Amino acid sequence: MAKQTDIQISICGSAGDGTIAVGDIFKRAMARAGYRVIAFDHYPAEIRGFGKCISRTRISTNQVYSMKSYSDVLVSLNDLHAIPHVGEVRDYGAIIYDSAPMSAVAEGAHISGHLMPGHLPYALPIRELSELATGANRSRNIVALGFIAGLYQLPQQAFHQAIAAKFETKAPAVADTALAAFDSGFKSGSSTYKFDDVQIDHSRARKNGGEVRMMTGNGAIAHGCLEAGIETFFGYPITPATGIMERLAVEMPRRGGRLVQTEDEIAAISATIGAGYAGARAATATSGPGLALMAEMLGLGVMAEVPAVVFVSQRGGPSTGMPTKTEQSDLNLAVWGGHGDARRIVLAPTNVEGCRRCAARAFEMAEKFQVPVIVLIDLYLSNRYETVFLQGEDNFLPKNWQRVDSGAPGDNYRRYELTADGLSPRCVPGEAGGIYTATGLEHDEYGHPNDSPDVHSLMSEKRHEKLRDAMKYPGINFTKRFGDKGKIDVGLLAWGSTFGEALEAVLLAREEGIRCAAMKVVMMSPLPARPILRFCNDCQQVLVPELNYTGQFANLVSGELGRPVTRVSHATGAPMDINYLLTAIRNAAKQKLRNKTTTSNPTKA
Amino acid sequence: MIPEQPVYLEDKVDEIRQSGRLAYRSTALPTWCPGCGYYSMTEGLVNALTELRIKGEDTVIVSGIGCASRFPFFMDTYGFHTLHGRALPVATGVKVANDKLTVVAVGGDGDGFAIGCGHIPHAARRNVNITYLLFDNGIYGLTKGQVSPTSATGFITPTSPFQNRDAPLNPLLMLLSYGASWVGQAYAGWPHHLTQLIRQALEHPGFSYLHVLSPCVTFDKTDRTYQNLDLAVRELDADHDSSDMAAAMRAAADTNTPTLGLYYAEKRETLGQALDLIAARAAGAQRIKRATTRHRQRKTPA
Repeated sequence: MAKQTDIQISICGSAGDGTIAVGDIFKRAMARAGYRVIAFDHYPAEIRGFGKCISRTRISTNQVYSMKSYSDVLVSLNDLHAIPHVGEVRDYGAIIYDSAPMSAVAEGAHISGHLMPGHLPYALPIRELSELATGANRSRNIVALGFIAGLYQLPQQAFHQAIAAKFETKAPAVADTALAAFDSGFKSGSSTYKFDDVQIDHSRARKNGGEVRMMTGNGAIAHGCLEAGIETFFGYPITPATGIMERLAVEMPRRGGRLVQTEDEIAAISATIGAGYAGARAATATSGPGLALMAEMLGLGVMAEVPAVVFVSQRGGPSTGMPTKTEQSDLNLAVWGGHGDARRIVLAPTNVEGCRRCAARAFEMAEKFQVPVIVLIDLYLSNRYETVFLQGEDNFLPKNWQRVDSGAPGDNYRRYELTADGLSPRCVPGEAGGIYTATGLEHDEYGHPNDSPDVHSLMSEKRHEKLRDAMKYPGINFTKRFGDKGKIDVGLLAWGSTFGEALEAVLLAREEGIRCAAMKVVMMSPLPARPILRFCNDCQQVLVPELNYTGQFANLVSGELGRPVTRVSHATGAPMDINYLLTAIRNAAKQKLRNKTTTSNPTKA
Repeated sequence: MIPEQPVYLEDKVDEIRQSGRLAYRSTALPTWCPGCGYYSMTEGLVNALTELRIKGEDTVIVSGIGCASRFPFFMDTYGFHTLHGRALPVATGVKVANDKLTVVAVGGDGDGFAIGCGHIPHAARRNVNITYLLFDNGIYGLTKGQVSPTSATGFITPTSPFQNRDAPLNPLLMLLSYGASWVGQAYAGWPHHLTQLIRQALEHPGFSYLHVLSPCVTFDKTDRTYQNLDLAVRELDADHDSSDMAAAMRAAADTNTPTLGLYYAEKRETLGQALDLIAARAAGAQRIKRATTRHRQRKTPA
């Protein structure tokens, strides 16, 4: 019986080689063929030039949670860029490269001189095949794709469909050329003797591949917004969040929604708050630099109790930092950013499906709790492709805020009435009887400016305590534990995109006999301290892996729980390295062993 | 004649309310200094809303921060007292969310032309169907009299003790070049004229900008006083053509004698109309796209 398929393929080239494009066709074809797909591209911040592009795709028959730390197959479309990545190919994995490059190659500049003993090379005349099939060398990328498909006997039809879909909007000749290039590569691949041990078994792939959707985190957020019935969106382009606005710009007007590209992020959040005040489901999307500009207006949203949704996709910082690299370093800003005690809701989904769910629930929660909700992801999750199974679409609630019962005359309406749960009945402009003025000034129950000590303390309490019930809001798991149950040696407390790597590392560590578990935390503010503390109390050692230098989540958790945790920070701009995490787990487990030895044999110490 | 007992306004509120003269006014008493030009603007907006029969619940007054921005509290309409400089984008959001509302943005010269200046060209070029009432007293009143972007050169204030050396902005010229579809100027000392201009601004379909000259009676005793403004202002020429941009710009460029009236007005697509058009196009585009897909699928090799 063949093993479960779990293969990662990397395609590496220079900007302009069509690396990302061909990776896109590959993952869509594999999703069509019924595999689960996770894919993440590495690309430079420049549009042209000779920056390095890598398209990595992991395909599997079982559920997986992150990219692998090694690849099974590497395709080189540009040897200079690919040579540093030869080492990421595992032993007995394949490396596919052009045997006859266009020009003479300097010594050491051809990839064949850099292979390691365990690597199995496929030298393919990629340029020549492209020229023979299409009369030009532009289709080298598609030839290489065809070769992979032929070599591993992947379903040709799925690729044909994916190629046709990719070039759907272009002239028919473009798709025809691509198909010819693909077939030429496919023929070459099918007639090549496969001597690596990479197995892709498609008898185990899901048969009903059609219901699968390939989505990025950004796409899933747009999907969630549409499912929740978003009415207005205001945004300003910024990597890596722009994709959300671009998608909504196409889809929202079809559903009667209104989208405006504003002059800056301050205007974007201002208009979002304005629309929220007027009763619309309103959102904006940005990255760290934009969130920094929005901080003041978020404070107004908290003070005036206006619903709004802000999607934030983090990138490397501070300042302009690394716009096309991932990092989880805006947690502090999302949770605490701004002046004054401005508690808001912050949700951080851990995978693409979670992005969709959190995006839609964010609108409901913003309305119910009358507060801005931040949905915090990062570039890795924004741009990562995953297959999403939309089994039984969730029913997201329509507008559900508590309305004013009777038409109380203007000045008697208490917009900020102090109630048991802190939530006050809300009116929106156009409704008679609910006339009030929302303000950023401290105010009494009527909304009238009032800075007396009693009012400030009561209203501060109201704005904080009303969010307590947010932790019980149905429809999202705000925390969830995976792995070993009961008392364990090592526990990983992870958030956001890093949780996938944390869970993969835990699964590997369990195979080595280490008792360990991972907990994902989706709600960052207010922090569900009780389940987190329960988990921590089960662990000898708590590791907090995250993609930043200072350990922002570790600080948040240890501050809230008053319990020390071990930081496993990784701030390189790349996703968490599973091997790095696995080593940290092993070390923590050994540490625990030493502690045990010391305590059980005190005399020997 | 001085009454034996002082008469407090608080005691008279109910009486005045019952007289019906306070429709659109909330029970909150204005926090402005006695004699402030902003009282005539409140009166002007109240009268204009009354004349146009726009209901309080269908009106939203959005303001920023500053003396002028306290405006919404004194009105019995929906109001949103937001952040310093952000009245226009918030008002844009309100209008985009609900086109049926009458949205009025109010603010002062510091709010509009210092911190919020970046938002004005964009509200103007998008032609958001709102009215922007800018109360220009050439000073920061709420922080006690500092220099503002419209203060005259040579003006002495706590933050310009050796005279202001910056040249003042020319808001009317700016708004005309930004593409505002309705630009006018009024003066707090001419309340009836002001009311008529506010009314016209509210009626205009598109972004209407009304610049209102107003004295700060507390912190400016030398420059923009009622006495000085009374002498300086005059009405636009009777033959001024409000569709003539060049004439409007010439009038705006003459800062020595501020002229009052409607400078420029044009009718063009508003943001709301543009968004409706986009929605209509998107609905059509969907059909076209489907047709292309079907066509292409037939050509796909099996």
